Amino acid sequence: MAPMANATPTDQVRKFAAEQFGDEPIWLRNRRNRLLEVYLAAPLPVRQRTSLKSRKLDRIPIGSAPTAADLPDDLQNLYQVANLITVNGHTKHLSVPTTWSDQGVILLPMTQAVNTAPQLIEEYLGTVVNDEADKFQALNSALWQDGIFLYVPARVTLDHPITVTHFGSSDVSNVLPRSLVVLDEEARATIIEQYLSEPGREKSLWAIATEIVLKDGAHLQYGAMQQLAVTAESFVRRGAQIGRDAHIYWSLGEFGSSLSIAEHTSLLSAPGGQSDSTTVFFGSETQHQDYVSVAKHVAPHTTSRMVARGVMKDDSRSVFTGVTEIKKGALGTDGRQKEKILMLSDTARADVIPSLLIEENDVFAAHAASAGPVDAASIFYLMSRGLSEAEAIRMVVHGFLATVIDAIPVDVLRHNVWNAVERKIAE
Amino acid sequence: MATPVLEIKDLHVAIDGTPIIKGLTLSVKGGEVHAIMGPNGTGKTSLAQTLMGHPHYTVTSGQVLLDGQDVLAMRTDQRARAGLFLAMQYPSEISGVTTANFLRTAINSLRATQDKKPITLKEFRDRLDEAMRYLEMDLQFANRYLNEGFSGGEKKRNEILQMLMLHPRIAVLDEIDSGLDIDAIKVVAKGVHSLVGTEFGALVITHYQRILAYLKPDVVHIMIDGRIVKSGDKSLAEELETKGYDWVRQEFVHEI
Ligand SMILES: Nc1ncnc2c1ncn2[C@@H]1O[C@H](COP(=O)(O)OP(=O)(O)OP(=O)(O)O)[C@@H](O)[C@H]1O
Ligand SMILES: [Mg+2]
Repeated sequence: MAPMANATPTDQVRKFAAEQFGDEPIWLRNRRNRLLEVYLAAPLPVRQRTSLKSRKLDRIPIGSAPTAADLPDDLQNLYQVANLITVNGHTKHLSVPTTWSDQGVILLPMTQAVNTAPQLIEEYLGTVVNDEADKFQALNSALWQDGIFLYVPARVTLDHPITVTHFGSSDVSNVLPRSLVVLDEEARATIIEQYLSEPGREKSLWAIATEIVLKDGAHLQYGAMQQLAVTAESFVRRGAQIGRDAHIYWSLGEFGSSLSIAEHTSLLSAPGGQSDSTTVFFGSETQHQDYVSVAKHVAPHTTSRMVARGVMKDDSRSVFTGVTEIKKGALGTDGRQKEKILMLSDTARADVIPSLLIEENDVFAAHAASAGPVDAASIFYLMSRGLSEAEAIRMVVHGFLATVIDAIPVDVLRHNVWNAVERKIAE
Repeated sequence: MATPVLEIKDLHVAIDGTPIIKGLTLSVKGGEVHAIMGPNGTGKTSLAQTLMGHPHYTVTSGQVLLDGQDVLAMRTDQRARAGLFLAMQYPSEISGVTTANFLRTAINSLRATQDKKPITLKEFRDRLDEAMRYLEMDLQFANRYLNEGFSGGEKKRNEILQMLMLHPRIAVLDEIDSGLDIDAIKVVAKGVHSLVGTEFGALVITHYQRILAYLKPDVVHIMIDGRIVKSGDKSLAEELETKGYDWVRQEFVHEI
């Protein structure tokens, strides 16, 4: 297939990369250049239920530097609470408790970590997600901007959640955050990445990548909140490599962006590894959401739980594909998934595609998926007690999401998710 | 507030084009308890649901007035706010919504239309505890999801709890006694009685004499094939219990 034509000439993209990353170590520059060529040559990804062609993504300029910007007034309070804030891909704010630094924790913007902790970056960057998986992943891997780098030494437990905010201003064309989280043996941490943007006059392209490495016995609670503006088109790829007896808890809230394509994978590569994944999504208007959640069991006695709850309003469209993959040799594996979608409108559409790919016999795998409209009898029941139809629907939606959202182990994230749901209902 | 009056005048109701209620006239005032008895499939639940505005039922002619106001022109929630209450034969299960949270929201919806401030958490809790104790309910039920996994009897008791908390003016109780054990019937009757007064009237749909023995209805109506065919005092219920509906059919149906 022919490479995607772009609003920005390829030579100009190359020139931008050369200027932008000229100060970086040579290995990284080479890596970026190699992946830039992959990006330039790659066709648009083909997704079975999402047509990318019609979205005219090639009209979004690549590699143009936006004007300087700051968080809008209503988000200024984030300076008090966030550990890292990036605006248009550049770090605006970093705050690291000294007690953590004293324990050997490294918490830095990625572009800084490249110089401060080059050996860790070189060792792990690109080892968990496949940077050549598709055009947009290649874009991120070639031109990535600031995300968080976190290293927690063995047996260190971070006493409170790390919060990261990625913000895009109205005039930004691309935001390409890249994050890398490494938890050494038996380390424990909680991290939340939040994505926000202002609506722009033109579309913006977000290509987001987060890699997670959990050494033996490490536990990570990873949360993400995607609340990008309707003018954003987002591509997200996250991966976690899970060591022996290590445990990841994914809690992902997907609310914003007109197009949202996101995939997260738990690679259970050592015995005793566990993955708990919860995705909550809420589509409205003409949003198109296409999610893939993968639990890949390679080692024996690994466990995965995959839960998704989606609410679809207006003319929104969603696809949720859950993949539980059990490789030969992954004896005693237990992989389960459960997806449920609540349809609030006749014109919304949702596909739930659970799949179990099993190559081993002595395993347990199960899935349950459903999508259906709001129960009319329930609405009548609630209205018969004086609730307006809108209140009744709100209550049913709340109830539908409650068991999943209330189980999110991180307080701030749970509140954020509820607030986002509230806003979507009221929209 | 004035004594409520619910008037049903020559009501005709159809489901998907099939006539179910065929000219029903009835009026219930504050201070009164009316009972409706009648064989299965005769239209009792249809009447109850129609009074509350269930979208499935189409009123083809007739009138329903509450204090002279046109109930049929109101949405279901407006009817509730006007003071109508329906204890349903089959209450819905609402997953993820606790009984307490639901009741507080409902109370506040009602208060909002009366220009009252939302109920404080403390006042709400106190009232809820009191009502639950009165109905001999385990206080844990308040924290469980609304009707989810409740036994048949527990659901019925929960309907009465809602009625006590919401203080309607006219309550329609659709088989509130079915599935209840003997003690529970007493408790439910006690709950209804606690409200009966000039500001509250009840229309009780039942198949059994037992609850009526406690409720002591002022009027008992017999409904057959979408009409009230006979009304009388509570001795009519006793007579029905011994003689059955065939007796009613033979004696009264031809009168219409
Ligand atoms: N969708 C429908 N289409 C046609 N007839 C219906 C429909 N739904 C209900 N009916 C009929 O309406 C009639 C009245 O039903 P209703 O539930 O009001 O009876 P009921 O008096 O409450 O009976 P029960 O004592 O068994 O509770 C029944 O014959 C029932 O089969
Ligand atoms: Mg009935």
